[in-house]
Formats: sequence, structure tokens, C-alpha cells
Amino acid sequence: MSKTSLLATRRAALLGGSALAAPALAQNQPRVARVWGEPGPYGGVFVQGMNEWAERNNAGIRFEVEQIPWDGVTVKLTTDLAARRPPALISVESPIAYQLAAEGLLEPVEDVNNAIRARERLVDGFSLEQFGAWKGVQYAVPLHHQPCLLVVQQDIVNELGLGDPAGWNWDHFANAARTITERKPGMAGYTMALGRNLCADYHITQFIWQAGGMTWDPRDGFKTVFDSPATVEAFDFIRRLHASMPRAAVEFSFLQVVDQHVAGRTGMSAYWGRTMGRAAEETPQLFNNMEYYLNPAHPGTGMRWSWTDINGWIIPRRDNAFIRETKEAIAYVSNNVDWLVRYSQSLMPNVGPVFKDVATAPAMLAHPFYQSKRRSLDVIFSQSVPHTCNTGLELRHGVNPLAGFAHGRSVWAQAVQRMLLNNEQPRQAVQWGQRQFENIRRDNARMLAG
Amino acid sequence: MRGFRLSDRQVGILFMLPFLVTAGAFMVWPVAEAVRLAFYSYNPLRPDDLTWVGFENFERIFDDPLFWESFSQALVWTGWSIVLQTLLGVGLAMLLHVALPGIAVFRGLLLFPYIVPTVVIALNWRWIFNSEIGIVNHALVSLGIVEQNIAWLSTPNMAMTSAVLLNVWKYTPFVIICVLARLQTIPTELYDAAKVDGARAWRRFIDITLPMLKEVLVVVIVFRTIWTFNKFEEIYLLTRGGPGTSTFNLAVYAFEEGMANLRLGVAAATGVVMIVLLLAGTVVYVRVSGFGQEEKGS
Repeated sequence: MSKTSLLATRRAALLGGSALAAPALAQNQPRVARVWGEPGPYGGVFVQGMNEWAERNNAGIRFEVEQIPWDGVTVKLTTDLAARRPPALISVESPIAYQLAAEGLLEPVEDVNNAIRARERLVDGFSLEQFGAWKGVQYAVPLHHQPCLLVVQQDIVNELGLGDPAGWNWDHFANAARTITERKPGMAGYTMALGRNLCADYHITQFIWQAGGMTWDPRDGFKTVFDSPATVEAFDFIRRLHASMPRAAVEFSFLQVVDQHVAGRTGMSAYWGRTMGRAAEETPQLFNNMEYYLNPAHPGTGMRWSWTDINGWIIPRRDNAFIRETKEAIAYVSNNVDWLVRYSQSLMPNVGPVFKDVATAPAMLAHPFYQSKRRSLDVIFSQSVPHTCNTGLELRHGVNPLAGFAHGRSVWAQAVQRMLLNNEQPRQAVQWGQRQFENIRRDNARMLAG
Repeated sequence: MRGFRLSDRQVGILFMLPFLVTAGAFMVWPVAEAVRLAFYSYNPLRPDDLTWVGFENFERIFDDPLFWESFSQALVWTGWSIVLQTLLGVGLAMLLHVALPGIAVFRGLLLFPYIVPTVVIALNWRWIFNSEIGIVNHALVSLGIVEQNIAWLSTPNMAMTSAVLLNVWKYTPFVIICVLARLQTIPTELYDAAKVDGARAWRRFIDITLPMLKEVLVVVIVFRTIWTFNKFEEIYLLTRGGPGTSTFNLAVYAFEEGMANLRLGVAAATGVVMIVLLLAGTVVYVRVSGFGQEEKGS
């Protein structure tokens, strides 16, 4: 090759290279800030509002939703943090938010909460800290709440003369489940998740709290208190209920419980608002006869605790290039009642409004469900609030960041499975759980100490 | 361009370079990094906090009953999968070796399970084996074969059986391809001569076909054992290791330790143990089977 041709080749290579470089048009493209939300419409409407802020303020940024199942957030976050490319914003179940806050991975958001007057606007019964605070610092901006309640096919309960589910205690409830199983061939009396998954953890812990038990006690240095008589009683009750459940309940997670109900294969189930939404879309006859009730009361304690996602936006702190813009955009949408109404209505009645002005907005009350299912909506959105807690906020005794770890390996579900599948006695299974929870506490003592 | 002339050796190295770089980056380095990590305590949410712990991670897994449970279940999962794949693979390859009109179509169709992505298969199987609304139970009940639905994925034994069935269904075509390729190279004169000597079909299979297939079967079994023992996605997508921990194998155990418990060091130590186990098993198997000895002898 001659020197001239070599130079020509080099020039061609340079020209080719410039052709591959970002054109001027691309350089003017807005930067993309990723927002994580549960699959479904959850984050979508809110993010549309954030993009409205970005356009109006010429922020040169575009928010994009990435759908991540809640039980996949930790895995995805670890890899993204390792790649120094975390999302700009995350909507995640409360226990995981509490864990990430205690790990020191989140940006404090007191400024946003002040800008939206979150404390004043919160629905009665909620406190700002419940959404995600650790050692006095707020890490979450209130977004929505979702209580897990008793979903009932009212026509079946009426037909069998089982009484008013609003007044049921555990015994009435178990008897109703048994009666449906016996009198309705091909239909389970009650369906809950008992697989090795997050959903089963949530369903199981409700019974433990109703009986008065807990896993860790934040008032006593996070001492592991799982092996109490109350937990054993709850396990025993689950075993009693199991006889009225589908055989496959031990593999069920979120989707299977809803499928079971909207396919007309159960008379009652434990779930959040989504079952009603699915029934409205797919099986109007079931929807017409579907009602939500507070969970049946424990006959001794009278408690009706519900596993509730007290959900807030959290902002990863490390390597997040969009913190300022994200905060401003959240404040913009959260201060706009119209956007929040649209957000709540995007998945009715699954994402309960957490601000009073949203819950009482005429546009919110204009939703058709308020005409057809007013009683159930009141239960889901308002009456459930005094009974809300979750595995990271047991019995509302304080935020507990250990729950995220326990959900990672589904310890509650595993303990119950040992009882149901391995035929261990409730006490034996509870003691196994106690050892697992104690290990988690010991492994993370440094995190608790902060 | 005299200055640019490369020797044959240099050209050889040049051609090998892309492979060496790729293998180094995507195979050697990750393995070396996993071995290094096995001696550290590392929480991925706290990447700056890397602590040397010596053999503590190994002690932890050897003290963990779940590790041993996963190990024994991995043996069951691998053992049954390999036995069934080999028997079915050889049998089906023999059938496909018969010269019939349109046999090529069947050969092509048999590749289907091997081509479809695992995630698609696993999710489909979850529906097919759904105890409540799955088509398998529906068919069995409709035909009167069973009276009530079978809990395919809800009891420990059935869940393991279902996982093995999925693995067998998906990977038997691999065995078929390898065996069929070898069958087609066996000289037909051997069979003709055996027939003349009065050997029946079974005798011809035992004395001609099987010895001819020995080398390829050794290779296939070694590879399938390694791949099955390490398999993660099929079990995880089908049963997530459940019910309980009844379908955990060591790969699922390592994932749980790394991602659910955020103990990457323990997960890496599990990976190292798996490498050692597979290496030892492979050496023993290859020695016992006498693979390659004929070539050395000649």
C-alpha cells in the first residue's frame, strides 16, 4: 500500500468515524431518567405527570418507566448499583424501602415532603414516618396505600346463610370456609398464597398479628420474638383453614390467588384491590357479587390487622444523576390533585389515595366503582387504615428494616410450608422460623446500629 | 508491504486472539473472580465493604443443612435427568435412523424443544401442570385416568418429577442429534455381516451399535451432567426451588445466598464447591469409561 493510499484510507476511516458519532439531533435529545414501578399501570400515570413537569420547565430530561416486579427490586438494584447506574426513582413495597433506607442507599426527601405539605394532607390514620423513615430521617414521599383484605362472593355467603362477614371472627370465618368447600363442589372455601414467595409472607403475617404476635420487636432492640404462643396459634389456624383451600395453594403467589377468584374457583380469598379490578374487566357477574371486608377478628384480641403496602417514592442516592430534577418533578405531580386522581384511578381500587384532598376530590368520587361498590371502596380506602401495618411496621410499633431480608428468602412462607408439607407441628415450624429470623437479626446487627 | 508480512505462527496467534480475549474476559476472569470472592464477605448493597474471611464462607455452607439438602436433590435431579435423556435419546435416535419417507421432517420437529427458550417452556409448563386449571389434569380427569387433580408442582416429590420431566423433554433432542450423527457413520457392512451370522436385532444392538456409540455417549453424558448439575433457570422458573426447598439444587442455593441473603461470598464459595465436584466427577467418569484409551493404544 502506497503512502497516498494509506492516507486516503485513514481519511475514509475518520469520515466513517464521524458518521458514527452522535449527530446533532441526538445530542439535543433529553437525558433519560429511569423510574421503577410494579408491572401494570402503577407508575405510568405518575411518570406522565413528571414528564409534563420536564416539558414545562425545559429540563432536558425524560422520565421512563421500567416495570420491575417487587420481589425483583433488590436483585435488580444490586446489579444496577454495581454498574453505577441506579434508577432515578423507585416505587417499592414498604419493607424493601425500609431496608434500603437503613442500608444508607436512599436520598433524604424531607424537602419534597415539605414542598407538598405531605404531613398536613395525609389521610387520617397515616403518619409520614410509616412511608419510610429511619433514625428520624424521611426517605419516602407518600404515594398510595394497599390493604390486604377479605374478598367475598356475597351471593355464595348469602345463599349458604353464613351471616355478615363484617362481624366474623376467626371461628365464623373458618366455619364459612369449610361450609363453602363442602356445599359447593369444585370451589374452595378460601384461597390464600402459601407458596414460597412474598405474597404468602404477607398473607401469613396478617394472622400472626391478629393473634398478637410479631417477628421482631423494634421497641426492644429488634429482639426476635417470633416463637410466641400467638404465632403458634396463628400457624394452627392456617393449618385449620388449609383444609378449605385449593390443594395447590402451597404453590400460589399473587397471580394465582387472583386467578383462582376471578375464575370462580373460590368463595373467598385474601387479596388487595386488584381482584375487584380484574373481575370488573373479565367476569362482570363475579364483580357484581364481590365485596371486600376487614379481615376477620381474632376471637381473643379482636384485632383485624391487614398487611398494607404504605407505599412511597424512594430515590437512590449513590450515582444518581437526576436527584434534583426527580425531586422537583415528584413535588410537581404530588401537588397536582388531578394527576394524583388519575394515578389512583389507573388501577382502581388497588392504589388507595393517601392525601385527603385526593380521596375527597369530586373527580375521584366520580369513578363508576363509587356508584357500584361504594361500601367495598370505603372499606379499602378508609376503614382499613386503622388496621394497617406490614412486616416492616409490625403492629405499628416502629419501622423495622430486617423484614426485607426475611422476604428475600420467604422465611414466613417457608415456616408454614414446613408445617403443611413436612407435617411438622406448628410449634416446631415456628421454632425453625425463630432460628432463621434470629440469624437475620444477628447478620444485620451492624445495619441496625447504623 | 514487506514489513507487514507475518509468519504462519503469528497469523495463527492473530486468528486465535479474538477467542482468547473473549474467553479471558467472559470465562477465565469471572471464574477467577468467583474464586477470589469465595474468601471475602461481600454485600452487593455495600460494594465498598469487602472483608477477607478466609474459609469462613466454606465453613458456613458445610454447616448449613440446606446446602446438603440441595446437594442431595441436585444428585436426584441430575441422575434421573441424565438416565432418562440417555435412554430416550438413544431409543429415539434409533427410530429416526430408519430410512422412511418424510423422516427428515420428524428429525426437524424433534429439535423444537431444544430451540424454544427455557423461559417460554417453563412458563408454559407452569400453566400445563397447574393443578387447578392445567390442561394435563383436565385431560387426565376427562379421560377417567385419575379421579381428582394431581398436585404436579405442589408436593415435593411431584415437583421434582415435573422439573425432571421438563429437563428431559427439553434436552433429549441434544442426545438424539449426537447419537443420530454417530449412527449414520457406522458402516452398514457390519450389520450385514452380523445378519449373515444369524445375529438378531437385540444382539446387533448390543454387539455393534452400542460399542460404536460408546465414545459419543461418554461425551454426551459428561456434558449433559455438567450442564444439568449447574442448571438454574428451569428449576427457578418452574418451582422457584419449592414447595418448601424440595427442588433446590446447588445453583438455586447459590442464587438464594447471593441475591436473597445478599451474601455473595457464600454464593461464590458454593460455586467453587460445584466446580470441584464436577471436575472430580468428570475425571472419575472418564477414567472408568475408558474414554480415549483406544486412541492411545493405537
